[in-house]
Amino acid sequence: MTTVVIVDDHSIFRSGLRADLDASVAVLGEAATVDEAVALIARLRPDVVLLDVHLPGGAGGGGAEVIRASSELLTSVRFLALSVSDSAADVVGVIRAGARGYITKGSSGAEVSRAVAAVASGDAVFSPRLAGFVLDAFGAVAGEQASTDDELDRLSAREREVMRLIARGYAYKEVATDLFISIKTVESHVSAVLRKLQLSSRHELTVWATARKLL
Amino acid sequence: MTTVALRVELRRPRRVVVGGVCAGLALHLGWTTGRTRLLAIVLALLGGAGILLYLWLWALVPLAPTESDDSAQVQRAAPMAAIFVGIAALCTLVVGSVMVGASPVLVTPALLGLTLSSAAAVAWSLAFDRHDPNRSRGYSVGVRSLSSALLLASGVGVLLVRPTAINAVLAVGIVVLGTALLIAPRVVALWSDLMAERTTRVREEQRAELAAHLHDSVLQTLALIQNRAGSSSEVARIARAQERELRDWLFLGDAPIAADLSAELREVAAAIELDYAVRIEVVATGESVPGVAALIAASREAMLNAAKHAGGEVSVYLETTPSGIDIWVRDRGAGVDLEALASDRLGIRESIMGRMTRVGGSATVRPGAGGTGTEVHLHLEAQQ
Repeated sequence: MTTVVIVDDHSIFRSGLRADLDASVAVLGEAATVDEAVALIARLRPDVVLLDVHLPGGAGGGGAEVIRASSELLTSVRFLALSVSDSAADVVGVIRAGARGYITKGSSGAEVSRAVAAVASGDAVFSPRLAGFVLDAFGAVAGEQASTDDELDRLSAREREVMRLIARGYAYKEVATDLFISIKTVESHVSAVLRKLQLSSRHELTVWATARKLL
Repeated sequence: MTTVALRVELRRPRRVVVGGVCAGLALHLGWTTGRTRLLAIVLALLGGAGILLYLWLWALVPLAPTESDDSAQVQRAAPMAAIFVGIAALCTLVVGSVMVGASPVLVTPALLGLTLSSAAAVAWSLAFDRHDPNRSRGYSVGVRSLSSALLLASGVGVLLVRPTAINAVLAVGIVVLGTALLIAPRVVALWSDLMAERTTRVREEQRAELAAHLHDSVLQTLALIQNRAGSSSEVARIARAQERELRDWLFLGDAPIAADLSAELREVAAAIELDYAVRIEVVATGESVPGVAALIAASREAMLNAAKHAGGEVSVYLETTPSGIDIWVRDRGAGVDLEALASDRLGIRESIMGRMTRVGGSATVRPGAGGTGTEVHLHLEAQQ
């Protein structure tokens, strides 16, 4: 059983999502603003927070502000961003603040439940479009490649392969079959990319994010 | 039975000498234009009555309606601004002659005449000549700079020769007017720029507010509808199409304006989504490249096949690298057996593979990863 808090300023969306989530997910509470969300998360300590990217209240920082305000809980509470748009513009801010992945609001209840389970078990949730953005932002399409594993500003060859397959619409299992590696290995590659996305000071990422006031 | 001779309505024509009053009046009264003009001049000499009548009719008589082949702008034959400048020059000469010894009685009327006629010249050039296709920009610049030069010259000249009090006041006024005429166009231009910028800013603010509202309410609702209706239902498709349109409108500035390959692929996908129960996700990476007709047509065929035979979720991935362009179209349907439909299904063989081969590319069709669905891979080498 995964415990969840839903943070979204639209009550219709919250109740709709709540009704759609399957039995493996228990909703502990709902919040509509940044301040409400921070207080509720600190009190309830859920496994996963389903977090809207655009939220009223607080200092105007939306979902990213909720994550930053809850940063000392990040080891036990995991954040899954919900965005109405599938554009990376909305998402990179919350990812860099510490979210473990994102899904669009158009996703079905079953998809959200699967993503919640994945995030709760420590994995990252990447959509094809986010994978495409990562490939562009790290210059992987243009042929840039990390020379060592701990390099933050470029992707390794394997990470690039995994991202390309995800961008092509492959599920983790299909990526694993295609590359002749285990699902666990795929998951660790994805987590490594997520970490790079969060920590990299790569010019494109930071310039891009500051231009949109995401940092 | 009596015949009523209807008079032509009193209207000012659009091709005129000064104001079109005499020509219009002549037409209305059935006289010759020369006779009306003569009458006007005679009346004008009788204490200026003709001038007043002329101005009165000018103000009150409407313009003749536009004829389709005629320019809507009024075109004036007489260069009135230049004539006013000429009068101003005469007055300046009078002022100058006073300074070299002629009777000083004439200075005050000459200064007044100079002020009035140069103001009239500039006013005429701003009010009428600006819209007249027969008058060039250089002409109005000439009128303005000549007027202000005359004003400045006589104003300074009068001040230099110890004038009487009234003349001194007039001269100072004239210098101020001359300077104002010199800088007026620049001030006007600055002002209108400022107003235009303000209007744009207000409009942008309103747009941003509207966009924020639409983003928060309408987009959310559309997402919710898709969520509740199931991704391939009719309702969800309509909601998705609406969402895309709204998003295009909201974030117009973000998208590249020129139609590149990824934009065209998205367009194709959107069109197919409208016709079939399918959801096509297009992801593009790499440099933006212009569309290649064969590539777009082949991808369209692949997407159509996926929409017709598989439905559900279809992923399209476009990758442009320095070495070439790759497109993958992947569905999760029952899959196709290429051997079985070798000859009867022309679709894939001809419209996808044939097309790609003809432009020097390649196409492969294979089962999707893990054996579910079909994946079409199109490849085109970069042009050398």
